[in-house]
Amino acid sequence: MQFLGMLSGNLLNGIILGAVYGLMTMGLSLIFGVLKVVNVGHGAFIMVGAYVAYWMFTLFGLAPILSVPIGLILGMALGFLFFYLVMKRLLDAPELSTLLATFAIGIFLEEIAKVIWGPDFRGYSWNVGSLHLPIATIPMAKIYALMSSIAIAIGLYLWFKKTRAGTALRCLVEDKEGARVCGINVTGFYALSFALGLGFTVLSGVLLTLFIPVGISPYMGGIYTLKAFVIAVLGGLASPWGAFFGGFIFGLVENGSYSLLGLIPNVEPFSLTQFVAFMVLLVILLLKPEGLLGEK
Amino acid sequence: MILRKYSSFIITLAIFAVLLLIGLLRPTMWQPVALIMFYIAMGQAFNIFLGMTGYVNFGYVAFLAIGSYGMALGISRFYHTGIGLWLIPLGFTLAALMAGLLSVLVGGIALRLRGAYFAIATIGVNEGLKYLIEGAKFWGGSEGIIISKPMRVTFGRHLANSLSTFWADIFLFAIAVLAAYLTFRFMHSRVGYALTAVREDEDAAKVMGVNATKYKLIAFIVSSCVAGLIGATTWCLKSTYVFPEDVFEVSYTVEAIVIVMLGGSGTLLGPIIGGLIYGICKYWLAVLLPGLQLLILAPLIIVIIVAFPGGIVGVIREKTRGTAFDQVIV
Repeated sequence: MQFLGMLSGNLLNGIILGAVYGLMTMGLSLIFGVLKVVNVGHGAFIMVGAYVAYWMFTLFGLAPILSVPIGLILGMALGFLFFYLVMKRLLDAPELSTLLATFAIGIFLEEIAKVIWGPDFRGYSWNVGSLHLPIATIPMAKIYALMSSIAIAIGLYLWFKKTRAGTALRCLVEDKEGARVCGINVTGFYALSFALGLGFTVLSGVLLTLFIPVGISPYMGGIYTLKAFVIAVLGGLASPWGAFFGGFIFGLVENGSYSLLGLIPNVEPFSLTQFVAFMVLLVILLLKPEGLLGEK
Repeated sequence: MILRKYSSFIITLAIFAVLLLIGLLRPTMWQPVALIMFYIAMGQAFNIFLGMTGYVNFGYVAFLAIGSYGMALGISRFYHTGIGLWLIPLGFTLAALMAGLLSVLVGGIALRLRGAYFAIATIGVNEGLKYLIEGAKFWGGSEGIIISKPMRVTFGRHLANSLSTFWADIFLFAIAVLAAYLTFRFMHSRVGYALTAVREDEDAAKVMGVNATKYKLIAFIVSSCVAGLIGATTWCLKSTYVFPEDVFEVSYTVEAIVIVMLGGSGTLLGPIIGGLIYGICKYWLAVLLPGLQLLILAPLIIVIIVAFPGGIVGVIREKTRGTAFDQVIV
């Protein structure tokens, strides 16, 4: 009974964390969907967002929720910078080039962060009370993160479906040459998608700090790259909406498996959940590579 | 004609021989030479897969790591059976086997899919395996395996010492020669031709009846087994311990990418030239700018990809196209 209570509490946490996970992966899927580029340095941009939240909070006392727009703007600035400096020259190159380039960009950001903030773990705590439920006590900070994730995802969805720019972007995903013929500035929209994708990634890093009890470090991104890939593949890789729902599934799997692995004596359940993420990835790639939510 | 075909392999052996001679004649140079050979061998093993297929194995370091565990397990679990020096070949066999098994598992699943999915699958290998070992607490968990005591007990202090300070590096030379030979054989065989076809146009190759997945998997397994051997000698026999935090270190994957792309991927001499230059530069950088190597390497990767995707060997071939030299350095 006690176990069931813990399990349901963990699953609830999983859903809340899953919303942020989903948001964290939307940028990856957006970039892959439009540019057909896999951003292997994804985790490094999450790390940048985490440090934005950390710095804004410790230097100016700004609540992490209010750092969200700063993360978005910084991420988009980095996105435009890296697009025009690097990615634009590689659009027609073999896949190998973009994979290596995004990997190198990620490593570069990590090393810059190490120079600025040092290699140690840092953390802050934003205490705004808790919500007491029968099965679990949830800090309000996480509730805010959940609500802003959903609001931001809906915002992106509406922008995609309702605005002229969003329509042009969807057109570009369907048919690059067709879009060009219709007078859509293909390179410009590539730049915009790359920037938006990274903007959302950095922004999600801001929210993610509310869930990391051990604190943040320059090399924290690696495991989030892995998780984002698992989620993206769950959702069909090229679909930001699939990714958002994939995030919920992954949050549930991760937190549920944490409870179950805790039953095994003499193991470290937290480390094993990271391994579970990798196994989930292999199993999906084996059984349903187009994604659980993808259509084929 | 025969000489021309083997020219690049002969140049490779000559470079190795010169390095070995420098190390043997000048004892103070032995460690730098061993470091350079480590980078050359690591680049060669990486190149067998990346150069042949155009696919990146982002979990590359995990295969060296699992090889080092193979050697550590071979020595620490079997030293009391009294098989003496046979422990070393046993360790290498385990290393190659374990790395091979991991590659079959990962490659068998991910290589059926196109490039992007393979990259995604491999990026998790390193973290996944490290957390499995630390979380499930087997193979020593996060404390790792220390083999200095079993080695002293089995081989005696003197031999154990020379195994880790001298023979481990000699094994590394042997593995580098093996890797060069495998690369050379691949380039002039059915496997190599098939992979070239797949790399240039996968759909066309498939229509022609090339089993793309099979050949990619062969290259992946061979690359991983050689990586396992390198890990076994350099990260276990030489250092006499294996710690998960040390061996699952992603910067080695970065270094392998730099070496191969700098020298020129898909060529025999590329990773050797890349490894030589990188090894020497790293030695300087470590002295001049300690701790900043990756900060310099990452932009270097980008510059190479954007400006010289063929690497040094590619640039030289471009400049000497049509001359006899072009034929020599293939």
